Amino acid sequence: MLQYWIAILTEAAIFGVLALGIDMIWGWSGDFDLSAYAYFALGVYMTMVLTIGKPSPPVEYILGWHLPYLLAVPITIIVVIAFASIIGAIALRTLREVYFSITTLGAVWAIYYLVENFTPLFNGYNGLSGLFDPMGGGLSYNAYHYLFFAFCLIVLFCVYLLVMRLSRSPFGRMVRAVRDDERAASVYGRNVFWTKYRTYLTGAALAGLSGSLFAAYIGAFNSLDWAPTEIFVLYAAILVGGRGNPRGVVLGSFIVYVGFVEMTRYIPSPAARPELGPALRQILIGLLIILMLRFRPGGLIPERLGTDGSQGRRSRMRSMFQAQQDGHDESVATAHADDGSDS
Amino acid sequence: MNIFWISVGSGIAIAAILALSAVAFTLEYAVSRVVNLAHGETLTIGAYSAYVAENNFHQDLYICALIATAFGALAAMALNFSLIERFRNQKPLATLIATLGASLILQNAVLIGFGGASVSYTFSQGNLFHIGPFLWTALTIKVIISAVVVAVLIYLLLQRTRLGKALRAISQNRELAQVSGIPARRVVMQTWAVAGAISGFAGFLYGETIGTITPTVGNGFLLLSITAAVGGGLGRPYPTLGGAVVLGLVMSIASTYTSSAYQLVIAFGFLVVMLLVKPNGLFVRGRISTVRA
Repeated sequence: MLQYWIAILTEAAIFGVLALGIDMIWGWSGDFDLSAYAYFALGVYMTMVLTIGKPSPPVEYILGWHLPYLLAVPITIIVVIAFASIIGAIALRTLREVYFSITTLGAVWAIYYLVENFTPLFNGYNGLSGLFDPMGGGLSYNAYHYLFFAFCLIVLFCVYLLVMRLSRSPFGRMVRAVRDDERAASVYGRNVFWTKYRTYLTGAALAGLSGSLFAAYIGAFNSLDWAPTEIFVLYAAILVGGRGNPRGVVLGSFIVYVGFVEMTRYIPSPAARPELGPALRQILIGLLIILMLRFRPGGLIPERLGTDGSQGRRSRMRSMFQAQQDGHDESVATAHADDGSDS
Repeated sequence: MNIFWISVGSGIAIAAILALSAVAFTLEYAVSRVVNLAHGETLTIGAYSAYVAENNFHQDLYICALIATAFGALAAMALNFSLIERFRNQKPLATLIATLGASLILQNAVLIGFGGASVSYTFSQGNLFHIGPFLWTALTIKVIISAVVVAVLIYLLLQRTRLGKALRAISQNRELAQVSGIPARRVVMQTWAVAGAISGFAGFLYGETIGTITPTVGNGFLLLSITAAVGGGLGRPYPTLGGAVVLGLVMSIASTYTSSAYQLVIAFGFLVVMLLVKPNGLFVRGRISTVRA
């Protein structure tokens, strides 16, 4: 039983990292990105091909460098960022909101079919496998899994600290100011595209990192594991926890992963109907998304606009007062008052 | 050269179906300003209801078509009533996310109802015909003719009826239309019924052409419909028709020379080029700098 819980919690921690990344793009920057799961998948694939050996004839994939895991992770992240920078440059330059989502939706399906059918890249439909041992050998099965769980928790915690710091920094406020009123933010000298682009790439980097963790956790990966619709689970988690608030996002991903895995465990899944359990799970996730959006769009721990607890009460009052006077949105006034560090 | 014309011929059939699906999608956008990501599921529902009808009514093509149309319309009306109207006061993006949720629910409901394996229509494909340079089966010809008929019907509906006039007014400005005495809610609901009917019919035609359907049949069509609509001009029926025809031909010609598995990759390439070069549509005049919906 303990192993079972460790497995679920490890998964929740890995997807917590991914959710924090996606939340930067959607929560802070307001861009509903449907291709983020492709960055996660690319992270998994890249980590795999970097750490496993050369392919033997019927199987084919690129690289196969047999690098140590901790060296493969940064390379993976760089590759993912490079890849996201192409899609981000297309989707973010002039397209917003619904058009942005459509473009990323097209991108993720195009990538999906490309990876599935173009075998020389990542062995196509059959995917990659090759168990490896990121912690260095010599551990028993259980000890290894406990250690890996601890490792994931530490990574999640570090990412959380980093994201929280970014969120409270002038950069975090600038991103939100751009989200809330692009025109006003650009009048105050912010570069709208560059702000959104950097947020997008940071989010993609976190997606790549969580992909690296997932590669070590799962050990084998093929295209069935990353149907682009899987991303809705993460959006459900972000919506439940509180969009734009890192604390809420981590909470949400634990609630959704643990809650849903536990709930769907008791759905009878007869051998003749293996699709029943997963299908019901998807339906529940769809319902969860719609109901949260309709009745509690802020989530359990809503984002506190502009301030995020970093400012004193007085300056918060002042910025609100200023906002009323200028007839502006609060956050824009905050961005003005704080003067986001770079320009 | 022969292969080329055969592939263009099959491309015309797919383009005809795609045109219907994309017009339905664009009509939904025109009246509700929503990118309906559950649009594919109305096609799926149409295709599956025709499959059920086929098993129960002894392969009568016309009864199957009628039932697919009716169920498509019902599904779209239910979607509008239970979801789109409730999200009317929220941002377009929130509605888009909600339709994603609806798409998950409907797709998996079909999956539970009919299983994940593909089911087959058993309509005979009929004889082969050489028409000009094209090689078509009797069924393909029926598909193309009925798609053209439906397109003409849509034209008549938009230009010659009160509903069409009200629809065009609402698509330009819902509040203003309402002030002028147009019952907006009712017209929107009727538009969704029409759009659902068209897409249910399109789903049936697609199943008929391909022969087998799965619960994700409509979802694969969704991206193509979006590409056609955005490529032609989102929310504008005639530009969308043009976009669908262009996309259908581009895809079929391109997949003559590569694997057909890359169809969606090609479609995405088309979408990106359209969005970068002419973001408000191939057949719409004018330019705008930042596209938002």
